[in-house]
Amino acid sequence: MAGPGIPAYLGVAVFLFVTGAFGVLLRRSPLIVLLSLEIMLNGANLALIAFSRHWGNGDGQIFAISVMAVAAAEVVVGLGLIVAMARKKLNLDVDELSSLKG
Amino acid sequence: MVAAAWICLLLPLAGALLITLLGNVLSRKAAGVLATSSVAGAFVAAAVAFVTMLGDGEQHRSHLSTGFTWLSAGSFQADFSILLDPLSLVMMLVITGVGSLIVLYSIGYMHGDNEERRFFGYMALFVFSMLLLVQGGNLLLLLVGWGLVGLSSYLLIGFWHEKPSAVAAAKKAFIINAIGDATFAIAIIVIIQQTHIVGFDALSALNPDNHGVLNLVALGLLGGAVAKSAQLPLHTWLPDAMEGPTPVSALIHAATMVTAGVYLIARCHTVFESAHQVQNIAAGIGALTIVVAGAIALVQTDIKRVIAYSTMSQIGYMFVGVGLGAYASSMFHLMTHAFFKALLFMGAGIVIHALSGEQDIRQMGGLRKLMPRTYVMMLIASLALIGFPLTSGFFSKDAILAGALASGPYGAALWVIGMIGALLTGVYTSRMFLTVFHGAPGDLVLRQLGPDAHGQGATTDGHGHGEGPRTMLIPVAILTVLALGGGFIQVFDWWTGMQTWLESVVPSLHEPTGWQEAISSIGAPLLGLVGVTFGWAVYGSRKDTAPKPSRSLEHKLYFDELYDRIAYAPAAFIARFVTRLIEGPLVIGSGDLVGHVTRGAGEKARLLQNGLVRSYALLIALSFAVMGIVFLAVR
Amino acid sequence: MSLLAVTAVGNVLVWAVWVLAVATCIGTGLLVVTRTNPFHSALALIGNLGSLAVLYLLLSSEFVAAAQVLVYAGAVMVMFLFVIAYLGGKADAPWIGGRTWHQAASAVAGLAILVNVLVAIGMAAGGSLKHEAQLDQVFGSPSEIGRLFLTDHLLAFEVTSIVLLIAAVGGVVLGSHARRSEAEDAAALAAGEQV
Repeated sequence: MAGPGIPAYLGVAVFLFVTGAFGVLLRRSPLIVLLSLEIMLNGANLALIAFSRHWGNGDGQIFAISVMAVAAAEVVVGLGLIVAMARKKLNLDVDELSSLKG
Repeated sequence: MVAAAWICLLLPLAGALLITLLGNVLSRKAAGVLATSSVAGAFVAAAVAFVTMLGDGEQHRSHLSTGFTWLSAGSFQADFSILLDPLSLVMMLVITGVGSLIVLYSIGYMHGDNEERRFFGYMALFVFSMLLLVQGGNLLLLLVGWGLVGLSSYLLIGFWHEKPSAVAAAKKAFIINAIGDATFAIAIIVIIQQTHIVGFDALSALNPDNHGVLNLVALGLLGGAVAKSAQLPLHTWLPDAMEGPTPVSALIHAATMVTAGVYLIARCHTVFESAHQVQNIAAGIGALTIVVAGAIALVQTDIKRVIAYSTMSQIGYMFVGVGLGAYASSMFHLMTHAFFKALLFMGAGIVIHALSGEQDIRQMGGLRKLMPRTYVMMLIASLALIGFPLTSGFFSKDAILAGALASGPYGAALWVIGMIGALLTGVYTSRMFLTVFHGAPGDLVLRQLGPDAHGQGATTDGHGHGEGPRTMLIPVAILTVLALGGGFIQVFDWWTGMQTWLESVVPSLHEPTGWQEAISSIGAPLLGLVGVTFGWAVYGSRKDTAPKPSRSLEHKLYFDELYDRIAYAPAAFIARFVTRLIEGPLVIGSGDLVGHVTRGAGEKARLLQNGLVRSYALLIALSFAVMGIVFLAVR
Repeated sequence: MSLLAVTAVGNVLVWAVWVLAVATCIGTGLLVVTRTNPFHSALALIGNLGSLAVLYLLLSSEFVAAAQVLVYAGAVMVMFLFVIAYLGGKADAPWIGGRTWHQAASAVAGLAILVNVLVAIGMAAGGSLKHEAQLDQVFGSPSEIGRLFLTDHLLAFEVTSIVLLIAAVGGVVLGSHARRSEAEDAAALAAGEQV
């Protein structure tokens, strides 16, 4: 295979994943949190594709496509929540959604 | 014939189920009619089976009919089957015949009670259970019926469940019967372990040389019989069982269930004959009960309890009979006793009914003029109980006594005790009878039945109808005829109907000679009459009939107190001990501890649920990191 | 000689593309997380997704790369942009941190994960990750993906469709619910004004 080996791809994947995780953990805007989640998912997808290539086996790609579909579903629900929040005239802040406090 | 037996068994069950399931759909009257007709239908079926069996040859009268395989485990198999033979047929006829009369009687007696339907449902259930007991084709079914009659007896004794004494009596009956059930079950388990079958043929399959096993089995069976038939020392439940409605006392605690022990010994006679000592013990217990129960009956003041002790005493005769091998005579006495004792109870029921529930004979008196029909039939029943010549009790009791005399010196000793019992019977019967029906009427009697009492007692609670409605009097009349003439089934050894009938199933061991018959037949009624004379002298004229009993008799020979000491008190002591040392700190304490710990943990864990999504995400990330480190470390 | 030269030139080209893609990928990723204007974040995410598609191509996964561009960078991101445009100024997300311990713990957790995985990759790099498999002709082609989806992974395929359906229903419910509560609020407000 031309270019860098699989470990390099995996490194990029984990870097993306951790970047997204920081966004999820540190940002309070639900929009940014959702975008960061997408980055995490894509990091995972990259790892899946890299392993798929490594083993020469298409199953990893199937998995990645499924993840994409799930991400699309998640985006629908997440954006629906954000729109609902906005209509409720709440601040767009994930910490506002704390009515499950025990 | 077998089909008739199945119908006989299942009709009362159908009646009980219908009454239970239909509930309020059924009127109270209809429930009574349904119960009566189901039991009467069973009687008709039993009669059909009887007539058909008469046509069979002597040796072909035993039919085992299997409905379906009930249990099957490996080579062991128990069927749901019924055994129809002369012995079970006699019991079936008595149970359904007397039973249908008593259920009919209770339509009148229970009229106006709040829960009549429940009563009739229980009654039908009882008849089914009793039929299952006598018809069961193997030991296991016999045990099932045995337990079911205990259950329905419990339900019926405690029928008036708002009365604490009735509930206590029901519990007592159930617990004491459970002792018998346990020994019976042990006996059956031993039989199964020894022979690997549960049919009645297992009884003769036991190794006759293995005396330990035989004695164990016989003792277990005897324990069951003693408890169910209220023989010493497990008799204390029967007098208390009189808390139940009077028809229950008549049906269960006089005519049928309490005689199940006699049936059991007769049915398992092969075991008892092999375990001879145990059979002698059975006879001894019977003899002891005759005297003890007769003596206690002398001083009881509750009319039903007097009859209850008399029942114990009469069953004692039957135990003497089966204990000495006079099976046919015992079954004969079982039958005639069912007639006259049911009659006595029903008569007592009419009296109690007329007096609005009063059972104390000291409050009664002078009822002869006020209740002439009841007087006549109670007179006949009492004469039969005493064994007055030519009444039914005369033939049967004397047959047992003659059989006892015919079976050696031990039998002769028991014969003497039986004679004493006959004397006691005369005394207590005449005491009860004279106190209730002769003398001057008491205040209560005048209030309830006197000339100016009309419209007062009659309206209050449905009781106090004079001598009762026709549904009560018809069965009483039929039973009066039977109590009077039922003994002619077997007259000495001139006409041995019962003996011949049962010969193929339970052949009697001894044949009394002419003089033995004669001395018993003359001696027993004579002693009975002596007792009556004595009773007449003491109780006949006096109004104040409060007897001057010995204190120990009044306390029923301290049996209840004894059981209280040896069984209840230690149990209560242990229970208190366990409560204080184990229940309190460990069981209850651990419950509190678990509660507190969980609650505290919840209080702390609640703080984690701060509702902030990001902190949940942080927890996930942290645990992910920790897990990663762990996976790396263990790699 | 020439073949070797061609291969070497190709290799250099691949490396260059790879470096470019990775740089874009990491840079846009950081932009997504750090911008205060979500519109910028979303645009950065599109760049991120595009560069990832390039990486997928380098990994011979043509179909996934195409799907990435079409589904992700196309459909999903359009949805994002619509919502951000709908929210307008409300969507601005100034960088307001949470509690200090939360930030610190987040940093620790994130870095720990990073180090963890990097160590794991490093440990495997010389071993099981060293040699890739030889690829056959169909690897990553649409026909191969279609065959796998309709044979080996049919259940996953169907389940995914159900997940999407549920998400669609959920989106509709959330939307209509929000609208209804909005109407109720308006009604309550009107009633309050009347009193």
